[in-house]
Amino acid sequence: MPSPADIGVISYAPIALLFVMAAVFAAVNIVASALFGPRVESVVKGTAYESGMDPFGSARKRFNVRFYVMAMTFLVFDVEIIFLYPWAVSFAQLEPRSDESLMFLARIGFFVGTSVIAYIYAWRKGVFRWD
Amino acid sequence: MGLETITQYLPSWVAPTPAFCQIVTGMLVILVMLHVILGGCAYGIMLERKLSAWMQDRVGPNRVGPAGLLQPIADGLKFIMKEEYTPRGADKVLFMIAPTLIMIPAMISFAIVPWGGTLELSQLPFGLAKTLGVEGITVRLAGAVVNVGMIYLLAVASLGVYGVALGGWASNSKFSFLGGLRASAQMISYEIPMGIALLCVVLAAGTLDPMVIVERQQTGSWNLLQQPLAAIIFYTCMLAESNRAPFDLAEAESELVGGYHTEYSSMRFAMFFLAEYFHMITGAAFFSLLFLGGWSVNPIGALLPGLDLPAQGSLVMGLLHVGVMAGKVFLLVAFAMAIRWTLPRFRFDQLMKLAWEGMIPASILLLAGVSVMVYLGLETWMWVASLACLAVIWVVGPMLPKQANPNQRIPMIGSRFSPLRDSTVRTAPTNPVALDDSAIPDPRQGPLSIH
Repeated sequence: MPSPADIGVISYAPIALLFVMAAVFAAVNIVASALFGPRVESVVKGTAYESGMDPFGSARKRFNVRFYVMAMTFLVFDVEIIFLYPWAVSFAQLEPRSDESLMFLARIGFFVGTSVIAYIYAWRKGVFRWD
Repeated sequence: MGLETITQYLPSWVAPTPAFCQIVTGMLVILVMLHVILGGCAYGIMLERKLSAWMQDRVGPNRVGPAGLLQPIADGLKFIMKEEYTPRGADKVLFMIAPTLIMIPAMISFAIVPWGGTLELSQLPFGLAKTLGVEGITVRLAGAVVNVGMIYLLAVASLGVYGVALGGWASNSKFSFLGGLRASAQMISYEIPMGIALLCVVLAAGTLDPMVIVERQQTGSWNLLQQPLAAIIFYTCMLAESNRAPFDLAEAESELVGGYHTEYSSMRFAMFFLAEYFHMITGAAFFSLLFLGGWSVNPIGALLPGLDLPAQGSLVMGLLHVGVMAGKVFLLVAFAMAIRWTLPRFRFDQLMKLAWEGMIPASILLLAGVSVMVYLGLETWMWVASLACLAVIWVVGPMLPKQANPNQRIPMIGSRFSPLRDSTVRTAPTNPVALDDSAIPDPRQGPLSIH
């Protein structure tokens, strides 16, 4: 059974094939319905749907700042999780209950702990309140 | 001309080495599985319509073909024959590429799933192994065997947000815009607990290789039994990531019409729809390989050894593996559909509260528990960590400082909307600024006189 390390970067070739197939599938779908579908223009048809009312103004207005704040918080956690993966693999391969293992646990505990403090701060600040 | 004559004209890297055989197998697996999943999506829509019909005591689609089985083909043809319309004021380029941006990540995310165990090429039928010179080589029945392993899932799952956000923004419709914002907020929120639940499994298995994760479950026990809390968190996040009910806030038709695909028509709309089913099927595949032991049929391999399918074998055994895996995926997809037609939809603030104030603290707590168990070397006692986390949540949760409950439930009976017969007590208005009901006369004093 070949392990990923033996194959090298060429092991991504099936993913490249899948990507090309997915892109072709999406493109063919769009082109096919553009070719076979009817094409009728009208003034009313071009308006945005607003439940039958005449639409007013642009849809691209300013929106709630909570989405920004939440996206920032998401970034903090997402980057942190990605950092945790290499740690998880090497930590699990260490000798259990050894000093080195304890050191690994303490370091990552500090790393996650800082984010948990930030998380509690954000919680008390009301970042997660949507009402 | 014999095969030896052909092979001498091929470039030098086309050689029956294990790595080359693995890549060719991976490409074949991807070619087959892509078409299987596409068919699965088409008939998944059919299954969902039939299931909902059974649950609501209807018949469901039964006109096109025998028992309505040709309905997905008719639907697909009809999507192609419909007009592809771009509303005025839409950003034409983004409007066109948004469906492809959601379709491509949905389609490529299953690449690393091992659909079966290891295949011994010597056991190929018709003496193929001897003809091709691949005797003694074993390959995995997986699409791509890459060293990033499970991180690939996280990387690709995040990409789906672009299609949703851009599709909503490009439409220049307020419903689409709000739907796109909601959907992207939801997808990024639920990605964090999903990543941590996945991390708990990786930590317990000590590897990112999906194949090894499955084999650990075959020799030990399924992660559903070892890490039930992680399984629950992962399944819930899987539903939320694919925008399925009860988390289909983005397309809540009672408030947002169609959400981010309000303005889409024909095949572009169909691609949003297909992507949802693709997400559901790949999510189910990942759930079954992470928590249900992939192609394993014995949940407790450590207690009852020798009752499982062998991990390595002939092509027939490989197909049996794929069949077991497909059965698990089918059950999980059907379960997600049953959930959709059973549970009511969340409200947006409840959805965000569940992710940020419920599942993220729970998953971080679980991560701490699992790390301590790994430190102690108790990989087979991982369920203790899950139960301990549940106990901590049960005990500590109610002790946390409460924020003012914004959606206080006021009992209807006894409130000012439905006062008791002899009571003179008026309940306090919910919002003293907005509601000043001192001016409203008491209805029990007689009919309201209108001047």
